[in-house]
Amino acid sequence: MNNKYPLAPAILFFGLTMLIILGCTKNFPDVREALGEDSRFTNTQYEPILGRNSLFTDNFFVGNSSQPLNFKIINLRRRDGSAAPELTDLVPVSVWKQPYLGDEKTLEEIEAKRVVENHPVFEIREHSGQFLMWANSSPLIKTQPDSGYVFDVELSNKGGRRYFRDFKLKPIKARPYEPSNQDPLTGMETSRYVGVSGIQPMYGEKTNTIISPRELEVYFRKDTLKSGEKLKNQLTIQVLDSLYNPINPDKFKLTDWKNLLHGFNMVKTAESVTYDVAYPIPLINYQTKYTNPDGTKSRLYLSYDRIGFGGFRQVGGFYLDFSIYDPGKWNIIIRFNGETPKFSND
Amino acid sequence: MRHLFIIFSLLTLLCFNTEISAQQKKVLMQGTVIDKQDKVTIPGVTIMAGTPLVPVGITNGNGEFSVSVNEGSTLVFKYIGYLNATHKFDGKLKFNVIMSMSVNSLKETVVVGYQKKTKEVSTGSSVIITGKEIQDVPVGNIMELIQGKVPGVNIQNNNGSPGMRGSINVRGLSNTNVTGSGSQAFLTPTSPLFVIDGVPVDDNSGYSYGFDQAGPGISPLSMIPQEDIERIEVLKDAQATSLYGSRGAYGVFLITTKRGNSKVPVIQYTSNYFVNTPPRLRDVIGGREERMSRINQIMANDTSFYHGLNLVNITPFLSDSLNAYYNNSTDWQSKFYRQTFNQTHNVNISGGDQTFNYKVNTGYYDEKGIVENTGFTRYSMNMNMQYEPSNKFKLFASVNNSLANNSKGSGSGLLQNGIAKGGSASSLLPAPSLFSSTNSLLSALETNDENKTVSVTANVELQYEFFEGLRASSTFNYAYVTGTTDTFLPGYLNNGFNEVTAYNDRKNTAYNRNLLSYNKSINEKHNFSAYVFNEINMTDFRADMIKQKRTPSDQVQGPLGADYFNSLGGTLNNITDFRSVAFAGSFSYNYDTKYVLDLSYRIDGSSTNGPDAGYSKNPSIGLRWNFNKEAWLVKKDWLEYASLRLTAGRNIVPTGTIFDVYGRYIANGSYNQNPTVGLDLKLVPNTGLTPTETTQYNAGLDLGFLKGKIGLVFDTYYKQVDNQLREKNLANHNAFAKVNTNETSLVNYGYELAVNFRPLSENSKLSWTIGINGAINKDVLTALPNGARELVDPGGDTDQQIFRRLGMNSLSNYLLNNTGVYANNSNVPVDPLTGLRYRTGGNAADQTYFRAGDPIWTDVNGDYVLDNNDYVVVGNGQPRMTGGFTSYLAYKNFSLNMNFSFTFDRDIMNNALAADFQRYADPAYTGKGDFNGLVPLDRYDVWTQPGDMAVYPFPLDFTRYARYRPFRFDQTLFMEDGSYLKFNNATFAYNIDRKLTKRWGMTSVRLYVSANNIHTWSNYSGPDPELVSAMGRDNSGGYPNRRSYNFGINVQF
Repeated sequence: MNNKYPLAPAILFFGLTMLIILGCTKNFPDVREALGEDSRFTNTQYEPILGRNSLFTDNFFVGNSSQPLNFKIINLRRRDGSAAPELTDLVPVSVWKQPYLGDEKTLEEIEAKRVVENHPVFEIREHSGQFLMWANSSPLIKTQPDSGYVFDVELSNKGGRRYFRDFKLKPIKARPYEPSNQDPLTGMETSRYVGVSGIQPMYGEKTNTIISPRELEVYFRKDTLKSGEKLKNQLTIQVLDSLYNPINPDKFKLTDWKNLLHGFNMVKTAESVTYDVAYPIPLINYQTKYTNPDGTKSRLYLSYDRIGFGGFRQVGGFYLDFSIYDPGKWNIIIRFNGETPKFSND
Repeated sequence: MRHLFIIFSLLTLLCFNTEISAQQKKVLMQGTVIDKQDKVTIPGVTIMAGTPLVPVGITNGNGEFSVSVNEGSTLVFKYIGYLNATHKFDGKLKFNVIMSMSVNSLKETVVVGYQKKTKEVSTGSSVIITGKEIQDVPVGNIMELIQGKVPGVNIQNNNGSPGMRGSINVRGLSNTNVTGSGSQAFLTPTSPLFVIDGVPVDDNSGYSYGFDQAGPGISPLSMIPQEDIERIEVLKDAQATSLYGSRGAYGVFLITTKRGNSKVPVIQYTSNYFVNTPPRLRDVIGGREERMSRINQIMANDTSFYHGLNLVNITPFLSDSLNAYYNNSTDWQSKFYRQTFNQTHNVNISGGDQTFNYKVNTGYYDEKGIVENTGFTRYSMNMNMQYEPSNKFKLFASVNNSLANNSKGSGSGLLQNGIAKGGSASSLLPAPSLFSSTNSLLSALETNDENKTVSVTANVELQYEFFEGLRASSTFNYAYVTGTTDTFLPGYLNNGFNEVTAYNDRKNTAYNRNLLSYNKSINEKHNFSAYVFNEINMTDFRADMIKQKRTPSDQVQGPLGADYFNSLGGTLNNITDFRSVAFAGSFSYNYDTKYVLDLSYRIDGSSTNGPDAGYSKNPSIGLRWNFNKEAWLVKKDWLEYASLRLTAGRNIVPTGTIFDVYGRYIANGSYNQNPTVGLDLKLVPNTGLTPTETTQYNAGLDLGFLKGKIGLVFDTYYKQVDNQLREKNLANHNAFAKVNTNETSLVNYGYELAVNFRPLSENSKLSWTIGINGAINKDVLTALPNGARELVDPGGDTDQQIFRRLGMNSLSNYLLNNTGVYANNSNVPVDPLTGLRYRTGGNAADQTYFRAGDPIWTDVNGDYVLDNNDYVVVGNGQPRMTGGFTSYLAYKNFSLNMNFSFTFDRDIMNNALAADFQRYADPAYTGKGDFNGLVPLDRYDVWTQPGDMAVYPFPLDFTRYARYRPFRFDQTLFMEDGSYLKFNNATFAYNIDRKLTKRWGMTSVRLYVSANNIHTWSNYSGPDPELVSAMGRDNSGGYPNRRSYNFGINVQF
C-alpha cells in the first residue's frame, strides 16, 4: 500500500460498491407498457357511405393494455390482393379548425373555420383506433355490391406490438342527400320522390279535408353547371301545387324565412326562396336552431295560420329534416300532389 | 457547618500525613465531575489511579468524589459514553473535572443480536440516539422527536392525535398494499420492530395505527415516558437486524430505559408545562358575504337571468336573510379547535452500583388535543433492577406498567371526518345547539368516548458464566396490553336512537430466549465470539365488541333493555393466535479489531408459514475493515478512525394470518333448523404462504477527522422485499372468491449520509455541534401477482386510482393530465372530421363541450372525448429524499438546541384544495351532500374572463359543473410538490449555578423553554405538507399537528 493516497482504499471500495449497486439495478424489469391479450376490435367490418365524413367509434376494447396505444392501417388492399391507391393516396378534404356553432353571421365566417388539407380517404386515428372516412365520392372507390377492401391493423405501444388481420371495408355508394330515394347497392332511384318528416293539419282548398302526408312529394334536384358557370353553393326551396305551379312562399306566413336554414343572402320571390349556403347541410352533427333536436339533420319548417271553421285559429304546415352532402346549386321542391292547402280564412 | 467539616477533614489529613509520610504520602482529593455540554454533574464515574490503573472510587449521586491516593498520582475518570478525563496532580486537592461526551462514535457500544459490542467491531449499519436528545419537548410518542435525526428513517408526523404516531419507514417502502380506496386509502404500515429493554413490541397491528379500526389506537411506544429513555438504537441493515430475524425485516429500534448507577440514590424530577395551539385554520367567507357570494354566483352564471332569480327566490337561506335560522355568521372551526394547557410530571429514582442497581420511574403525562373532546393521559411506573454479585452471575429484571386514557371524540385515531365535515359547514347555519346544529358538531363534542389502554410488561434475564468465555443466558418476558373503548352516542344526535359501543381487546405476548455464548481471545489479536440461541414467541390477540342501539333513554347507558334486533356484538375477525420459533447461531471473528467478520444463520418457523413452505432460512454476513489501524495510516494524526463495512443478509416478517393458510370455518346459517358450520368461501387456503422476505446489501464508510471535529458515516444499500402478501381475486367460476399469495416484490436502493461537525476548538467556552443527515431512496416494483406487468387499483370516492407498473416506483398516481385553462373558446381543440369541440364523455346528458375557463386535460387517445382512456401515469407519493439537521450550542450555563427536518421530492395530492373549490359547485345547495361553507379564492390564480391565462379553472359555472367537474380529484392540477423544510423544535436551557442549587439542597436545577413544530417552509398550497397520508394524499379530515410552547424544569436531588 502506498502512503501517498491514504484514502485510496475507500475510494476504490466505493467505486466497487457503486458498480455492484448499478449492477443490481440493471436486473430490474424494464419499464414496459402492458399490451393486453384481451385488447381487440369489437367490429371488423366497416361500411361507410361515400361522399360524407364517417367516423366509426367505440370499435376498440382497450382491456389491459397501457395507453396511449398506436394504431396503423397496413396492407390496405382490394379484395383480390391488388393495391388500393384510391384509398391510400392523399386527396383534398375539408378539415375543421374552429368549431362550427351555428351562430356564424356570414359564409366567410363559416369558411374561415375550415381549411382544405390532404388526407388519405380512409384513416385510423393514431391513438384511439377509430376509423374515419373523409367525404369523397371518387368513382374509383369500389362500392357495394363489390366486396370492397381488406386491411390489417398494427397495434403497438412501448410494451410491444400486435396485429389484427382481415378487416373488411365495404363502402356504400354516395347518396348526395337524405332522406334518400336511392338504392344503396345499385345507386338507382327506387322512387321519384321522398316524403316530408312531419305535418301539421292543413286543409285542402277544394274539399276542406285534411291533407295527408302522402300528398306531399319532396324532390331534391341539383342544377347542372352550365359551361363557364362557376360553382355556386345555393339552395332554393320551392313549393308547388299539383299542377307544378309555384305557391307563393309568403303564403306560409308563419315561416321564419330568415332562420329557415343556415343560409345567407336570402332571395325570396313569389315562386321560390334561395339562400347562399355552405355544404354539407347541416355542416356538422351539432344541434343549432336550424337543425332537428339531435342535430343530425337540418330542419325546414314551413307553416301558416288561418281562421278556420267556427272562428278557431288553425296552424298548418309541414317540416322536412334533410341533409345534403354534395356541394352545388340544389333545389328542394315540395309538391302537393293532391289538393293545395287552403291559406285563406273561413 | 460544611466549612467546618472541610477544615476538620483537612486537619485529619494532615495528621495522617505525618503518620505515614515515611512510606508514601497519601492525599485526599476531592471534587465534582461535570458534563461539559450540559453542565450537570455525573454520578457513578469510576476514578482510577496508579499503575496499573485500579479503581479507587466512584462519584456519588451529586457527582462528587473524594478519594485518597498517593501524592502526585494521576487520576483517570471513566464513564460510559464519555472520553476518559485525566487529572494530573497539580498540588490542588479540590478541583472540578469536566468530562465531555465521546464523539468517537466508534467506541460506542451497540447491541447487535442481543450481544453488546463496540461499534468498532460491528459490521452492521446502526445509529444511536441518546435519551438526552429527546427530553426537552414533551410529546406523547417519542418517535415524533426522532424525525430527521436518523438518515434513512423516514418519519412523517402525519397524525396529530395525542398519543398516536405518524408513519415510520426504514429505508423506503416495504409493502405496497393499500387498504381501502379514495379518501380512505391507507398504505399498509411497515413500522420497524421495537425492542424495549429486550422485549419485542410489534407496532404494526392495525389497532396501533389507529385508522378505521376499533379500539383506543394508542401506539405501544406512547406507553413509555420519554424521561425514562436512556437511548434508542436504530438498526437498519440486514446484518444488524439479522438476529431479530422473525420480525426484523422492516428495521429494528432498540429502546433502552434508564438504569441506576449511583451509590447514593438520585432523584430526578422533571416537569413540563406546555400550551398546544392549533395551526392556522382555513379562511372562510362568513355570513352576509357568503350569502352574497352565492347569490352573485347564481345571477352571473345561471342559464338565464330569470332562472337565476327564481333559483335564488326558492332557496330560503339565500332569499330569507332575515330568518333567524339563516341569519348567522358561525365560525365553525372555532367550535372544534382549541388551545390547551397541559402538563407532565416525572420522577426518576435510581441508585446502586455494578453489583446491585435499581431504578423506578413514575410518570404522568396529560395532553388535551387541539380538537375538542380529544386527549391523552398516561400514568406510568417503570422499574428495573440488576443484581450482579460476581462476574459469574447476573440477574436483570424489569416491570413496566402504564395506563393511558384517551378520547378520540367522534373520529377514529387518524381521521376526524366528523370534524372536517362540521368544521367546513356553511357559516349561514346557526351555532350549535340541540335544536339547530349539524349533528357532526354535536357528536364531536358530546360523544362520550372513553378509551383505556393498560400495558404491563415483565422481563427477567439471567446470566451465568460457566468458565471464562462461556456464558449462558436466559430471557423470559411477558407483555400484556389491553384496550377498552366505551362510546356513547346520545339519542338526540342520532335520530332519536342512542348507541352504546363497548370494545375490549387483549394481547398477550410471551417471549423466551436461551442463549449460549463463548468468547475467546488468543494473544489479544485473534478474537472469537460465537453464540447460539433459540427463541420462542407466542402472541394472541382477541377483540370483542358490542354495539347496543336504542337503550331505554339517554340516561340509561347500559346494555340492559336494548333493542336486541338492532344490536350487534361478538368477537372481531382480527383474532390471532400466533406462534413462532427460531434457532440461530452467530460467529464473529476479528483480528486485532482491524479485520472483522460476522456470520449468522437463523431458521424461523411461524404459525402463519404454510406447512408446505417450511422454515425460512436467513443467513447474513458482515465484513469490516478498520483501515485506520493499518500501519500506513496509524500515524496520521488527522485521521481518527476510518473503516469500511460490507454486509449482506436476509430477514423476514411474518404476514397474513393463520386463516390465510388453513382457511376458516364459519357459522353457515341453518339447515333443517339445525345450525351448520361451513367453510368460508371467501378465501381459499394457501398452504404455501411464506413470510415477507427482505434481502439487503449494505456498504458503509465511517470516517473521523481531527479528533472528533468531523465525523462522517456513509451507507449505501440495496434492499429487496420479496413475498409480499397480496390478495388476488379468483375467476368467478371458482368456488372461492380470493386467495392470498406472496407474489409481489419491490426493491429500494439508496444512499445515506450523516456528518457531524464541531467547528470550535476543544478549549473554547462556546461549544457547538452540528449534525446533518440525509438519505436518498428510490423504490422499484419488480414483481406483481400472476406475472402481470401493471395493476390499477380502483379510485373509490375520489377516483384517484393507484397505478403499479414493473420497473417504476411502486405506487404511482393515475390522473388526468392538466396543462392549464382554456383562455378563450377558440383554444378548445376541434375534431377535424366531425367539427365538434373536445368534450366530456359518458351519457348524452352528462356530456358538455369544453369552453373558455375549463381545465385543459390532455386527450391522450386523441378521440376528442375525455374519458377513462385519458389517464396518465404520473407522480410518486413516497419521498425521494429525507433528512434533517441539528445544531447544539452551549455557552457556560446556557444551551440552545435546534432541530430541523426535511422531505424533498414527493408528490402530494392536494385533495383539500380540490374540495375547497368544489364547494362552489352548488351555490343554492340543491343537491345531496353537505351544506358547506365557502372559502375565499382570491389567493389562487383563477380564470375569470376570456383571455385569462390562469392556473385554476373557472369555479363558478355551477350549471355545467356535474358534467365536467373541473375540480375533480383525479387530475394533475392538484398534484403538488410536497417538499418541505420543517423547524421541528428548539430548546433554550439554563442550568442554575451549582453553588446556588446546593444551598437549596439540590444537585442541579435545569430550566428550559422549548417550542415544537415551529415552522414549515414549503411551496405546497395546502395547510401542511406533512399532514398527508402515507400514500401522499392530503385528506382534510386528518388530525392537524399542534404547535406547542413549553416551559420545563428538571431538578436532581
